Amino acid sequence: MYRILDCIDAGSEYCPCYLAETGECLTCSQLQGKTFCDCKNWKGVCIYQEYVWNRLRMKERRKNTICELVEKKHVSENVMIIKIKVTRTMARELNQPGAYVFLRGTDEAEYFETPMAIMAVDEREGAIDIAVQVRGVKTKSLSQADSEISLRGPYWNGLLGLKFIKGLRDSSALLAIRGIGQAPALPVARKLVTAGNRVEVILDVGRSEVNFTKENFLELGCVVTEKSLLDPASLLVPEATLAYIKKSITENGVKLVYSGGSDKLHLGIGRLLSSQQERVYFACSNDARICCGEGICGSCHTRLSDGSRVKTCKTQLSPVELFT
Amino acid sequence: MAKVIVIGGGWAGCATAVTAKKAGADVTVLERTDLLLGLGNVGGIMRNNGRYTAAEEIKSLGAEELIEITDRVARHKNVDFPGHKHATLYDVQLIEPMVRRKLREMGVNIKFESRVIDVKMAGPKIISVLTSDENWTEGDVFVEATGSTGPMGNCLRYGKGCSMCILRCPTFGPRISISQRAGVEDLLGQRGDDSYGAMSGSCKLSKGSLGTEVVEKLDKEGVVVLPVPQDDINMEKLGMKVCQQYALKEFAENIVLLDTGYAKLMTSYYPLEKLRKIPGLENARYDDPYSGGRANSIRYLSMAPRNNGMKVEGVQNLLCAGEKSGLFVGHTEAIATGSLAGHNSVRLHLGMPLLELPRSISLGDIIAYANEMIKLPAGLKNRYTFSGGNYFTRMQEQGLYTTDPAQIRQRIERMNLIDIFKVKLV
Repeated sequence: MYRILDCIDAGSEYCPCYLAETGECLTCSQLQGKTFCDCKNWKGVCIYQEYVWNRLRMKERRKNTICELVEKKHVSENVMIIKIKVTRTMARELNQPGAYVFLRGTDEAEYFETPMAIMAVDEREGAIDIAVQVRGVKTKSLSQADSEISLRGPYWNGLLGLKFIKGLRDSSALLAIRGIGQAPALPVARKLVTAGNRVEVILDVGRSEVNFTKENFLELGCVVTEKSLLDPASLLVPEATLAYIKKSITENGVKLVYSGGSDKLHLGIGRLLSSQQERVYFACSNDARICCGEGICGSCHTRLSDGSRVKTCKTQLSPVELFT
Repeated sequence: MAKVIVIGGGWAGCATAVTAKKAGADVTVLERTDLLLGLGNVGGIMRNNGRYTAAEEIKSLGAEELIEITDRVARHKNVDFPGHKHATLYDVQLIEPMVRRKLREMGVNIKFESRVIDVKMAGPKIISVLTSDENWTEGDVFVEATGSTGPMGNCLRYGKGCSMCILRCPTFGPRISISQRAGVEDLLGQRGDDSYGAMSGSCKLSKGSLGTEVVEKLDKEGVVVLPVPQDDINMEKLGMKVCQQYALKEFAENIVLLDTGYAKLMTSYYPLEKLRKIPGLENARYDDPYSGGRANSIRYLSMAPRNNGMKVEGVQNLLCAGEKSGLFVGHTEAIATGSLAGHNSVRLHLGMPLLELPRSISLGDIIAYANEMIKLPAGLKNRYTFSGGNYFTRMQEQGLYTTDPAQIRQRIERMNLIDIFKVKLV
């Protein structure tokens, strides 16, 4: 009853969306079939008003565009970094922690679309870098794309606890990142460093075979340590690593921990943080199975402790709700 | 010590804070915006018709502070305008800081930009309230004085959209019905045509935009009546209005301006092009709501069922005041209900019986009468104010209306209620 569940798209140019038309808006009671305002999660804009002014229709939805694939760089056998040319507007809109797009080969059917996190953005040139780890059907097909790629975006809910990252200033943060989770952690580190924070990074190569972002973190001025974050057999965070994080909190005054990896990593870190006396903010990568990104298909839904369902492709919530 | 949390710092919330403090409570007011008084920052009409009686009753009951401030900053006293006698018009540009200082001086803790969005319950009791900055505030007793106006979605669904009024929902976030969050369904007021809500009844013109003669007359007499061109008379608009005391023929056929610091235009909205056809208003512009040429705020969309001691039915430690507590119109009505709610908040905490004001005084009668009427379908279409409409008629019929302070004091004395709000209970 008392949780803050924000829609990441609320108030954006894509709001109101299809969910408003079907009476399923995540934010507005008037667009949930009710006839009164109960605006708990006010985002600075009256969504109902936007909807009525838009002649009771959703705003124009995100469209697929064919983009030039500028560069493809293999950093290990199964990981490559691709550079895609996009409009400067798109680049600007993707330049924030948690941003992602849907990609697919231009010859493939729509169900090949896969959500890919943004690793770096060049606003001036209009280009984005994305790290692709070949895992299954969709990423295999993606890895075969040569000169063009189909892109749908921008999307923003690639991490949970965004407001904690945006809110931390002149403080200290720790990023625990594993495998391909390195890529979306770079914009997080950039944001934190820009806001005057000291940033420690624990890198675990995971299944990526190489810590392909280590240089980038060092360039940003982060303190980088390489450690195992997940025991492959037990799928638990090793005790030594937990002790290291604990020490960082107590001795280095870490006020925010970001977990970039799988649910198992989030759970291990979430439990550690909730057992701490110090209040430490928790943010994590959004590891849900995102399929449409629009709150329609339901593949990303997860249950909260009270049994209610949340569409994590659009809902910003505190990771504490999910991983403790 | 009783910890009383007042949600909403309009006239009703301020009056609640005053009497709760006097009864000995530790009082915190959580206000959504950066100003106290809410719509009181653009209102200003006191003591017209039966409000005179009510204001004197409030003073005799021992909650004179706020009434005294409105008297002190009056720009005009004893003003008559169509349908209304002996009004006091307070200066809306001076009053808020004075009330703020008074409350602080009394030791009331005021938290601005604190929008309450949810409650934490333990069975039928509220333990704490959540503000939008994600902080919880605990209390023993809660008083909801959030009003019933807006927010934007309601103003759009039931009116003509957000008109950018003093409540400034887009900036500070919308009002939330706390009683509804605590599981008690809201009651909704209706208009004559069965649609819900009603439109606020006045706009404010910037005096600097008006003709010299109009301004001079306003400054001198407090009121200016200008005839509306025959083609522009719109009787239908009266039915939409909140303020049935101003829904008179004279208000459709004339422009009635009152001097409250602004030139208060006694109509819900008036298209600017048409307004500027009237001599003296050729350059007029609106200061509140900014879009007064087109619309005004919608009210009465969120009332809580309550008893005559102002306690919300269904929640053990929640009281209500002002528009939240019924289809009341006006500052005096808000101060009256707020004063009772504040005093009773301490009684509720102590497990004492709640004070119900007797029906032999206008305060007690309006609180009980509005509660009876709200249960009837026709009653939902009425408004209850000492200043006009059916309630002022009732006041006169019941012999409650008088402008003799000595007589009013005598009535309160007879009921043994002199300075009851000054009694320190804890």
